[in-house]
Amino acid sequence: MPNLNINGRNMSVEAAGDTPLLWVIREQLQMTGTKFGCGAGLCGACTVHLNGEAVRSCQTSVSDAAGKKITTIEGLSAKGEHPLQKAWIAEQVPQCGYCQSGQIMQAAALLSKNSNPTKEEVVAHMDGNLCRCMTYSRIQKAIMRAASEMRTASATGTERRAT
Amino acid sequence: MNEHVKNLTPETTDLSRRSFLVGTAATGLVLGYAAVPGIDKALAAPSNFEPSVWYSIAPDGLVTVTCGKADMGQHVASTMAQIVAEELGANWKDMRVQLASNDPKFNDPVLGAQITGGSWSTMMNFDAMSRAGAAGRMALTEAAAASMGVPASECVVRSSTISHPKSKKSMSFADVVKSGKATKTFTADELKAIKLKSPDQYTMIGVSVPQLDIPSKTNGTAKYGIDVMLPGMVHGAIVTPPVRYGATVKSVDETAAKKVPGYIKAVTLDDKTGTTTGWVVAVANTYANAKKAAAALKITYDGGPNAKLSSESLFAEAKRLQGLSDSGEFFVKDGDPNAAFGTAAKVLEAEYTTNINIHAPMEPMNATAEFKGDILHIHSGNQFATRSGAIAAAAAGIDPKYVVMHQMWLGGGFGRRLDADMMVPAVQAAKAVGKPVKVIYTRENDMTMDFSRPLTYQKVKAGVDADGKLVALSHDVVSAWPTARWGIPDFLTPSVDKKGPLDSFTVNGADFFYTVPNHYVRAIKNEMAHNATPSGQLRSVAPGWTFWAVESMIDEIAHATGKDPAQLRISLLDGKGKNDGGAQRLRNTLLAAMGLAGYGTKQLPKGEGMGVACVSSQERATASWTACVAHVAVAPSGEVTVKKLTVATDVGTQVNPDGIRAQVEGAALWGMSLAMFEKATLKDGGIEQTNFDSYTPLRMSQMPEVAVNVIANGEKATGVGEPAVTVVAPAIGNAIFNAVGARVRALPITAEAVKAAMKA
Repeated sequence: MPNLNINGRNMSVEAAGDTPLLWVIREQLQMTGTKFGCGAGLCGACTVHLNGEAVRSCQTSVSDAAGKKITTIEGLSAKGEHPLQKAWIAEQVPQCGYCQSGQIMQAAALLSKNSNPTKEEVVAHMDGNLCRCMTYSRIQKAIMRAASEMRTASATGTERRAT
Repeated sequence: MNEHVKNLTPETTDLSRRSFLVGTAATGLVLGYAAVPGIDKALAAPSNFEPSVWYSIAPDGLVTVTCGKADMGQHVASTMAQIVAEELGANWKDMRVQLASNDPKFNDPVLGAQITGGSWSTMMNFDAMSRAGAAGRMALTEAAAASMGVPASECVVRSSTISHPKSKKSMSFADVVKSGKATKTFTADELKAIKLKSPDQYTMIGVSVPQLDIPSKTNGTAKYGIDVMLPGMVHGAIVTPPVRYGATVKSVDETAAKKVPGYIKAVTLDDKTGTTTGWVVAVANTYANAKKAAAALKITYDGGPNAKLSSESLFAEAKRLQGLSDSGEFFVKDGDPNAAFGTAAKVLEAEYTTNINIHAPMEPMNATAEFKGDILHIHSGNQFATRSGAIAAAAAGIDPKYVVMHQMWLGGGFGRRLDADMMVPAVQAAKAVGKPVKVIYTRENDMTMDFSRPLTYQKVKAGVDADGKLVALSHDVVSAWPTARWGIPDFLTPSVDKKGPLDSFTVNGADFFYTVPNHYVRAIKNEMAHNATPSGQLRSVAPGWTFWAVESMIDEIAHATGKDPAQLRISLLDGKGKNDGGAQRLRNTLLAAMGLAGYGTKQLPKGEGMGVACVSSQERATASWTACVAHVAVAPSGEVTVKKLTVATDVGTQVNPDGIRAQVEGAALWGMSLAMFEKATLKDGGIEQTNFDSYTPLRMSQMPEVAVNVIANGEKATGVGEPAVTVVAPAIGNAIFNAVGARVRALPITAEAVKAAMKA
């Protein structure tokens, strides 16, 4: 019975060690924001964070995730107000919305390391995430908007600390 | 039909209704159209003001619109709310949406069924939603005026408030609903007589208000079919045969599957609807275990009559059928092209093909079925509740009136969810194990069992007179017939030669707005393809291939007669006879796209070119006038880079401009994806592509610059989900020709084909 640390909470789950993390998250923990798209790591709909890195939960076994910090879309921010989530609304990104949890999680991993990415860096980082509605240009705009907001916020934060 | 269902279990038959009855105060009154059946039941709801089936206003002032259309990302629920809010005078922050059940009262007011497609929704619901909104405003105003002791005619309604400027009195919608004094009812005739706002009075339509469904799609809370969880539910994974259609199960060996923990049983489908053939469901306590069990089942098949067929055999059969003089049925029969070819100065002939295409929405097909008493509950995101409910019923062996469909957000539709195949395994597994069952397709199931865009073969012959005028066009379209497969006569079209009904969803678009005096269009059913690759409606349906042929041929004619391809189109869009009105709008749209793209204004570098195309998609009667200028660069290897797509579309009236742009952006990229990157093939009766490694829709790195320009000229609102899909492939093909002189006639366009055509 693997123990998982998910969105800051420790949980014991009943699943064979080789069970894909995706299905444990969705069915046992009933957190359905993480989506099943291809089961082969080809589309990115199931993207979650493992110790801050974006991974495909359909390709990650429960035993590999045990002992690591797992973050899903539900845990990205307390009230859905991560700068990326706000930017996704501001740019009206989602159409059907099914891939967007994965898109946001993938983008969040990029911005946590690089809050000033170039367009090329965004494309390279996001190219594994399919959007069948093809909202790609809005995804790009939203990432740039969120990055800019994060830079402003951290600059303001620094000033505050300084004064 | 659901009247009967309601009497049996009133508390569960209509979740959408229940959800707004719960949690409201016991004050207020409910009203309805006098003409709406079931009003007696609506009256039982004590607290909401419900001026039509389409929305209710709670005592807290929140307006909840019930959307009878499937929302698959086009934000149609939000659009319906926006149309209601315009006439109602509601504040956008007070608007909410919910999805309708399959109760017939939520049927499309024009189509008389619950079906979502054709880019029809806004066009066909605009009037009904407007009248529903206006009726609510009138009733609320009358009640408020009486309460305030002022004449209703002096009241102004804005931002969910009825105010009387002279006395400075006002009441909010919430106040009026709480007062319980809104009692006015409307008959159908009275509704019809309501004078709606004129466009210059709009304050909501034409404004890019935020789409109501978007926040829930950024935090994981939006619920799709795949997210449904029912108490006691178990899970089903399907095993599909190697042959797309026609296989039968000979034996199922469960020995190894029984060793999988949580395994319950294997259910071999007995599908009398003919939707599926040779499918088995492995049922287990979790989906992961169901998948393991599915993989462990040893199943033998009889491959059936299609087991040897390939894309090549389907193309060969199409060519054979086209060559027969008595094949097919006439969709257009104007003049006599064959006679005109005899006297034409120049005759051009070309074949255009498209391969099988797969919908592949990001949410794989799924359905959850639960038998509760006499009622079968289906939870699934579906585009055609009316038909899908009947298929679910047939799979269960019950009357359709006992089926309640619970609509969910659709994780992509694109026409795929018009079909009901996913209902069959869910229903039969639920029946077999006596528990609710959720069936989820793997991506491999989803791709190999798609109701795909059919493989098409088109032959076009054109005759030009000595002055270079196009005098004759004969166009044969050979394909599987996706809509005939439904078996619903109303969706078929009588042929003009009275040879019987034809599937106009294979030839729409070929009846274009160009003036050509002698014009034949034949719809030829490829029975072999129809049986081997059951086809479906893929975003834009026929115009996705007919305009590939027509708009490529128009370009070929222009080059053969030394004319500019755009100018030739403009001359053919003269608006004569039956083309009056539409032709002029299409011409103007083409001119707009040309202007925006800078078509013909500058010399492009070697290997680059711009191409144009213009379409009256979807159908003649429901067209959004759409034009595209594609700018491409072609390498000596034949590799094509699409640099920019400029799309202009005349939609008459735009409800939500930003929403329209989003649809057109997505549609244009779909068009490019189908033109360049998506190809499925049949081999030994099965679809060869199984996942996103071999079937490869456009990714972010392949995206060109897309410029979208929406023309809103005050005409009636038209649809935008599909037209831009159809215009892109021919624009790219024509641009390639202008860049390097290579004519490509097969989709998808490959570097090899371009290179071969460059040499030719």
